[in-house]
Parts: sequence; C-alpha cells; structure tokens
Amino acid sequence: MAEEDDPKEYRWETGYEKTWEAIKEDDEGFLQASVADMVQRAKRKRQALKQGSQKLGMMRHLFLLLDCSESMSSQDLKPTRLICTLKLLEIFLEEFFDQNPISQIGIILMQNKRAEKISELAGNYRKHIKVLSHLNRTNLLGEPSLQNGLEMALSSLKLLPSHASREILVIMGSLTTCDPGDISNTIENLKLEGVRCSVIGLAAEVHVCRQLANQTNGIYNIILDDNHYKDLLFQQVDPPPAAVCLESSLIKMGFPHQLNNEGSDEPLTMCMCHVDSTEDGSKLTSGGYYCPQCFSKYCELPVECRACGLTLVSAPHLARSYHHLFPAANYIEVNFNNQTFVCFACQKLFGELDKQVYNCPNCKKYFCIDCDIFVHETLHTCPGCATNPLTFQIALTN
Amino acid sequence: MNNIVLPDETQTDSSSDDETSLVVVILDSNPGQKMLRDSPHVLTHCVDSIIAFANSHLMQKAQNKLAIMACHSKTSQFIYPGQGKHTDVRQVDGQYEVFTAVEKITKKNLAKVLTADSSTVTKESLLAGAIAMALCYISRLQRTKPPGATLNCRILVVTGSSCSASQYMNYMNVFFTAQKQNVVIDVCALDQHLSLLQQGCDITNGLYLKVPQLQGLLQYLLWVFLPEPPIREKLVLPPPLKVDYRAACFCHRQLIEIGYVCSVCLSIFCRFSPICTTCHTVFKMPALPAVKPKKKKKI
Amino acid sequence: MADNDGSTSSQKSSRFKQTNLECKNLYDYLKSRSSQVLEKLYNHPTICLAIYRELPDLAKQYVIRLVFVEQPVPQAVVASWGSQVFSKEHNFASTVLAELTLWQEAAIPGGLLGWILSPTFKRNLKVALLGGGKAWSMSSALEADSKARDVAFLDTYSQERWECVLHYMVGSQQQEGISADAVRILLHAGLMKRDEEDGSLVITRQGFQFLLLDRQAQVWHFLLQYLDTVEERGLDLVECLTFLFQLSFSTLGKDYSTEGMSPGLLIFLQHLREFGLVYQRKRKAGRFYPTRLALNITNSHNKSTPDIEEDHPKGYIVVETNYRIYAYTDSNLQVALVALFTELMYRFPNLVVGLITRESVRQALRGGITADQIIGFLKQHAHPQMLNAEAKQPLPPTVVDQIKLWELERNRLTYSEGVLYSQFLSQADFNVLKEYTESNGVLIWCNKEKRTLVINKSAHDDVKKFWKRYSKGN
Repeated sequence: MAEEDDPKEYRWETGYEKTWEAIKEDDEGFLQASVADMVQRAKRKRQALKQGSQKLGMMRHLFLLLDCSESMSSQDLKPTRLICTLKLLEIFLEEFFDQNPISQIGIILMQNKRAEKISELAGNYRKHIKVLSHLNRTNLLGEPSLQNGLEMALSSLKLLPSHASREILVIMGSLTTCDPGDISNTIENLKLEGVRCSVIGLAAEVHVCRQLANQTNGIYNIILDDNHYKDLLFQQVDPPPAAVCLESSLIKMGFPHQLNNEGSDEPLTMCMCHVDSTEDGSKLTSGGYYCPQCFSKYCELPVECRACGLTLVSAPHLARSYHHLFPAANYIEVNFNNQTFVCFACQKLFGELDKQVYNCPNCKKYFCIDCDIFVHETLHTCPGCATNPLTFQIALTN
Repeated sequence: MNNIVLPDETQTDSSSDDETSLVVVILDSNPGQKMLRDSPHVLTHCVDSIIAFANSHLMQKAQNKLAIMACHSKTSQFIYPGQGKHTDVRQVDGQYEVFTAVEKITKKNLAKVLTADSSTVTKESLLAGAIAMALCYISRLQRTKPPGATLNCRILVVTGSSCSASQYMNYMNVFFTAQKQNVVIDVCALDQHLSLLQQGCDITNGLYLKVPQLQGLLQYLLWVFLPEPPIREKLVLPPPLKVDYRAACFCHRQLIEIGYVCSVCLSIFCRFSPICTTCHTVFKMPALPAVKPKKKKKI
Repeated sequence: MADNDGSTSSQKSSRFKQTNLECKNLYDYLKSRSSQVLEKLYNHPTICLAIYRELPDLAKQYVIRLVFVEQPVPQAVVASWGSQVFSKEHNFASTVLAELTLWQEAAIPGGLLGWILSPTFKRNLKVALLGGGKAWSMSSALEADSKARDVAFLDTYSQERWECVLHYMVGSQQQEGISADAVRILLHAGLMKRDEEDGSLVITRQGFQFLLLDRQAQVWHFLLQYLDTVEERGLDLVECLTFLFQLSFSTLGKDYSTEGMSPGLLIFLQHLREFGLVYQRKRKAGRFYPTRLALNITNSHNKSTPDIEEDHPKGYIVVETNYRIYAYTDSNLQVALVALFTELMYRFPNLVVGLITRESVRQALRGGITADQIIGFLKQHAHPQMLNAEAKQPLPPTVVDQIKLWELERNRLTYSEGVLYSQFLSQADFNVLKEYTESNGVLIWCNKEKRTLVINKSAHDDVKKFWKRYSKGN
C-alpha cells in the first residue's frame, strides 16, 4: 500500500489514478478479501487520527442549516436529495445524542431566500425527529439564502454562555445563494464569536462555502454518494477540538434521583415537560425525576429545569461522553509469527489468514483486527487492560 | 384486490423458534472476595449451581449456546468452551453427554485458573474487564454467524465481591456497549449489594437479584435468570428496584445531588474549585454560570 | 342481497379438499399414544429431554421450576407465575402439560388442588440434566478409530444416501441402492402409489409436498411412518424410539459403540444406515457414526435454523422481483424440484434460470402443492446473498404475495350446505319466507323470478316449523 501518507480516507477520493491497482487478488483469485482489507485499513487510519487528549468542546450547541430549496428535489440521491437527507439525519440525530448526551441541536430551514427556525436548540432528539418527519412533504421552493440562515443561527448562539461550544452544520444542495448583504461580514462575525461552521455540499464545491469553512475552522466536503454522505455526517458526531476562545468553567448541575419513599405510593403528579401539551405523554404519573433545587418533576433526563434553570442530568449521561476524553490506547500492528495462538478478547484462533495481529502498548496482549476495531469504535475499553490489576485504571491516571 | 386477506399472516409469530440464544456466564472466582475468605467451600456449591443452570439453558433448545468465564483478581479466562474439540468425553451415567462435557471441562479449566493464581490476592475482581471480553466474544459470533440467523445474547454475572468506583469508567463503557449491541446484562449478587452493576442491569434491561441465601442459589438462578428476555415479560418476576443514578464526585467519592461539572472534561466536583484536578483547566469565577442560565431560559 | 352470486352445492367440498401431507410434530405424535406407552417412554432420560425441548416456552419454565419440588404445588400458585396479559399462553402451556400427563392433579392437605410432575418424568429429566442412572445404550467405551471419519465425509455420505430416496421418488434414473423395505415405507406413507394400469410406482400428491419440505422435516416424517410399521417387523417401539432420540442427542463426528445392543436394535440400526442417518463402514464394525440427518430430528417446526458455528448446506436460489429464478445447482433433483413450479428458460452446467409464471404456479397448485409450500421452499433454499440484503425478508414481497394471490384465485368458490325451497304457490308466500330467513341470517341464495330459495341446512328444521305455522295461520 503506497498511499499510507495520503490524507484522504478512501481510494476513490483520490480520483482517477489507477484505482485498479489498489485491488489485488488473493491466493484463490478472489477480490472480496482485498476489498474488505481496504475498508478495515481505512477504519484503522481514522482511529489513529483520533488519539491525543486535546481539549474537546463537550457541551456542544449545534445548529443544523438545512437547504430546502428547489435544488433539493433533484434525484441524484435516491429517491430525492431531501428524502435521502432526512433519512440520514434521523440516524445522525440518534447517534449524536447518544454520543453527546448533554449537547443541544437546533434546526433551521433555508428556503425561498428566507430562513426559518423549525426547531429551537434542545437536547431531546425525539422532538427533532418529529419535526424532521414532517419535512418530507414540504414544498421545495426557490433559492436558499446562506447569509440569512447563518445570521439566524448566530443570533441564537450569541446568547449562549461562554463555555459552550458553538457549531453550525450546513447541508447545501444548491450551487447558489441569494443574500441580502455582504456574506463576508457574516463570516467575519461568526469567526469573532468562535462559531465553527462545517458544510456538506451535495452538488459541487462552491467558493463561498469553502471560505466559510476555512475561516471558521470547519470542514467542507462534497459527497460522492449516499454512503459517503453518511460517513461525512457521522464525522460530525465526534466532538471537535475546543475553540481557542472557548472559556472553561465549572457548570452547576443537578443529579436528580427517583424518590424512594418506603412503603407509601407516590402521588400522581404532572411532569413539567408535558404540562402544557395535549399529547399522549401528558398524563398524571407517579414517579419521575425531581429537580434537587426546586422539586419540579420531569419524566426524562437530560433536561434543563424550566423553573430554576438548573441542568439536570444523570451520572451515566456524563459517563457516556468520557470515552471521547479517555480513549483506549491505540494498538500497534505487528506481523504475526505465532506470538500467541488466540485473540485475547474474542478467543478467535489465529490462522494463516491473519497476517497481522495487534498489540496493546499497555497490557501487551494480542488482539485480532476485528477486536481492534470493535474496541476502539464501540467499546472504548481495552479488555486486556481492564482485566489486569496493574493497568485497569490507566485511562484515569493519564 | 386490496381487500383480500392473505390467510396465513397470523401464523408468523413463531419467530422465537428459529433464534439462537447465547448466555455468557461470568463467575467471580476471586478467592479474595469476602464470602470465599470466610468459607472457601462455598465456591464448590456455586460452581455446581452454575453448571446445573448452564445445562438447563442448553436444555431449552437444541441450538442454544453457552460460554462460561472465570473472573479472577489478575486475569479473566474463558473456561468453557475452551480450546479444541472435546470428542473424548464419554457418558458415564444417564446424563446427556453434552452436559457431561460442560461439567468436566468447566471444572478442569477452573481448577487450572485457581491453581495458577495463588500468589498475592487482591480483593477486587475486575468484572468490567471480564464483561468487555464477553462483549468481544459476542461481537465475533455476531459477525461470523451465517446470514439470516438471529443470535440473542446475554451475560450473567455471578459475584460475591463488591464493586468499587475505580472501575467506574470501564463499567460505563461496557454497559453502553452492551446496550448498543442489544446484549442484556443480568447480575446475581451473592454477598453484597452492587450499585454500579445494578445500574448496568437497568441500562441494558437486565435483571438484578441479590440472593437472600446461598443455599438456594440454583433455584434463584433457574427461576429468575433462566427465562430468556422475551419470555420474561410473560412471567411474574421480581420488579426492578429503583436505581440510584446520582453521581459520585471525583474529589471525595460522595454521592451528590447538585454538583459542578468541568466544561472541558466533564469531571464532577462537589464544590467550586478554581482548577480542574483531572484536566488542569483554570476556571473563571463562579458568579457567571449561576446567572447566565436564567437568561437562557426559554419557555 | 350480498351473496346472490355464491353458488351452492349440497355435497361438502370433499371433492376439492384432497388430503394434504400431514406433518406431525413430536407433540402430536405423543398425544396420539396411550398413557401406558407414554409412561413407558418417560422411563428414558433421552425421551424426557426430547419432550422437554418440544414444550411451549412457558411450559418449559414451569417444568424447570417444579423439577426440584417434591410436594404438589397449588394450582393457584402456578397460575400466578404467568402475567395476566399472557393468560392465554399460560392456559395453553397447562393443557399441553396435562395432555402429555407430564403433570398430574394432586390434592393438597387443606382441600386445594395442586400440580405435581409425573414422578417418572421428573426422575429421568433430572438424570439427563444432572447425571446418575444408567448410561445410554450406545456409549460403551471405544478405542480410537484408526480410520476416523470427519464431519465433511459424513455430510456427503448422508446427503448421498438421502438423495437416493428422493431421486427414486421423482423417478430419475439413479435407482440403485434403494431397498424393497424403503419402497414399502414410501407406499405405506402414501408418498408413492402403484399406478392403476401398469403397476409401476408413481409419486403422489403428498409425495410432491414431501419433496418440498426441508430435510429435517422429511427425515422426521419418514421416520414416523417407519415407526408405524416397526411393530409389524417384530421390533419394540419404545426401544426404537429411545435409540432414535439417543441418536438425535449424539455429537456429530464422534463414533459410538454397538456393543450391548439387542438384535432388534441392530436391525433398526441397519435400516437407519440405509437412509444415511448413521454411517458404518461394515455391518459388523462394532462402531457407527451418526450423521447430520439424525441430529435433532425432533425439532421439525423450526425450519433450517442455521447453526451459529458450523457451516450449513448453502442455499442456492435467487429470486428477483421480476419473477425470475436463478438456481445455482448441478443436481438433477434440485432442478426437478424447482421445475415443479417454474418455467425453465435456460440451463447451464451449474445454473438454471426459470420464470415463475401464473401458469407454472397454477400447474403446481393443481398438482397439490400449496402456495405456502412453494414459498417455504424458496425461503429455505434462498441464496446467502438474498439473506444479506437489507430487507428483512429473504424473498421479494411482490413475488410472495403474487404466489399467494394465484392460490386464492383458485379458491373463489365457497361451499355451504343448503336446502332448496322452490315451487312456491304465490309471490307472497315466497316473500314471507324470504324475509323470515333473511332476518335470521340463514338465507344463502334466492331468485325472485323463479321463486326459489336456498337456505342453510342447519336452519332447515326451524324454517320448516315456521312454514307450517305460517301455512296454518292462513
């Protein structure tokens, strides 16, 4: 593999230069193994980039700027750009809140030269998905206005406390934007406020988007197909490095626990989240989470107390984000020559097919490539280190 | 055309028949745990109960799978199915030969683990690591299963040791992974109440049971943990206890209701301090964060 | 008049309802045995184990909860184990356990009724689970086989043997190696019959349905038919069943000893060998290998559950939404099976391309195959690529629905028994009777011009009475 230093992830991103040479037949003349190999290598490479515990912006506030102009009705993504986008966003939102439980997202539409906020910054993903699901019948009209969208997002992000990480993600189907003023001023303002703007283009590269992303330390990418699109979206799931001007502070938070009054049944009460809605959830229930400061009741966490403004979370919510900060150490690839006969974690027998095995620098155990990827992508805990009394706490002490 | 009712649609709920279910039993065999230090022979009783439980699981369906792990203070190992084929085990009595094999292999490998590690004994069993290994094992089976097959997995932890906050991060990582992979974690506590593992059960929809008396261990295992999750909802089982999700502060390890969280590394502190002990960030003065949220409030 | 186009006939629909292949599972089989036989069967741990596995899920839990309890447990307590929402399933489980006499009612001091597990069953289930008791008849110690056979060998062997039987049924040329005995079983099972003209054997409607079953179900059905004839051959049914189940609980690739087997069992073993359920190098080898066909024969209802770790015979059929079928096979038998309901288009050495058409499916339906059997067959042999696809179903739903619709097309007529009332003297009489029957919902068909009515047969007496009363009144 000669393209080891290549900054691009996939072979096809490097364009039309001898793509056929990267594919090799295996001993039996099959291509599949070698394609699978390439995919795994790409995954490993991405893993390797993630290392290093730089400061991350953990309390993310992200505005999603969604192009809903005429260009989104194009059918180059199946069935249409808009429907494909909505489907992917649904998965994205779920994953985003899974990985960043104390973060918030808002959604703004760009349509017919106007911007419309369809969903306020909030941490409840079900609400966003509901809003998105109504979108697929929306009329796709006119041209988008990037500037209006950015200004609207900025006006909301401005108000946030200084420790919050502010981000904008633009999904742009159109090649043009119809703006009321000079967009470079808007970009300048965004830069001043430390808002990180990333753009995913569905058509072709546009100078103004490139400018926007470059100036604000964001990423600008053009999709190749729907798989690539999904990949690019999912890059946004991991928290970005903290912006320079981001101040750090201690934030007061409440950790409500379910009240446990021995013997007596709890009275039926209304929770604050459903108190003013007429939907199914608004029923009297017993049990729930009580704000430790003002004793308002909520039916789910995380939430910001409506009465006293305290952020209410449960400890596992915070714990969900710890792996970004304390990732498992990257394994070292070594050639296999019978160091061990079985993968430490999954008990797979090493055979002739395993040319490389992976060695943990801390616990010195050997793993197979599948476990390497599983440990670093999903588990975030090295099974070798975690079963060794000398190393199991290494993530904390570092 | 549309009002034709296709006749056999009602017959499709036999789905549970063609699913394979895997149980990974993690047995805490650490001789340092309090229960075993007091009376070492308890272990034999536990192992017998667990083997009987494991065989009952295999008895449910022909395609059911089983793995048993021993978790020690220094290492964790798979003791069943172990390496290699075991065609040399033959019946000695009327027991089904697969069950005989489970019993023999488990006991043989457990003895190996116990004799290999007799030097210094620490009290803490590294259960989180054992669960991590089990998850890797499960994910390999999920990867290599034939197309079209469904494999339901759960992990049963049987332990008498206490759980300490030092493994907190590892525990949380394995719980969330299990939740994502649809692996149910059941916990059977033999001696002490385990609040962290109880959280894991709650997160993964598993059952948590603190056994009142060890004598009846097998009965508890069979009554509570043998039914698979889909069958559990059809049975009346002990209701889930309310789980205490309060956080423990990083400075004093005390459970707190209101605390301060570092915006950079999310460490939890019980009072304001000017510098974060985990990531060494210097903080601004405390007045601001108390005021700002009120402005932000949008109703 | 909603149903005035429904036709009627006084005879029942027996003419159209030809007997279909009846596949009994172990439960149905045991239910039809007498309780003495059952009691005898429960004396064997293997059979207890096999029965346990065939129980409904809830019943399994009840048995395992009771197996270590010595006293009867009050029925009310047992009823409280299941949650209220699923009381139907609870009742079903209780019925099954009672029907198989696995548990019996027993009085508890204090006048309550309780359940207690059949002592024989309980004892032997415990033996199977925990040990104790006698070893099974085939597990005597053996020296290592100098020419041990591996799993792959056993698989090809058993497949060859079994396909011999199937080939014989479809009448392809390879007819060597099937004994008169096997032919007798095929005849007894009604899978084949003698042609009325020249006495040659031809496959029956049930035979076709049999061919479309999955392998496990085929073996089980075949063996049940065999067991029916076992007593005529002078063999002991219980002994054979026990051995069969022992075999089904054996390990693939392991050899077992024939030492200590009764002469009857040795004959039985030779029969099994003929169908490929066991492999023996020589008749007197003293050891045998069970093959995949013999393993877990009882769980016939979960079709082709792939074993997680071992590789399974691969599916070979790809079905496209345009009704094309690609079957990657070189076996004549498999081609013949696919041809039962498709129109073959091209044939290559390793591939057959066919088209599912209305005509081809209707022909299969006329031949007695049901739509479910066709779909089941396609599902069970679906190519791994079809299973990998993102959709949950291995087959395109359009094709599945269309095949079902083609079947429904043939069932447009519904039959109901009726009595014809005609030759009314006046239109008024006719109207009175028509209104009366209509309001009672027993009118099937009527014609005003011809003054005829057809009335549900069960209501005939009632209508007759009404008519008499009415006539008297006038």
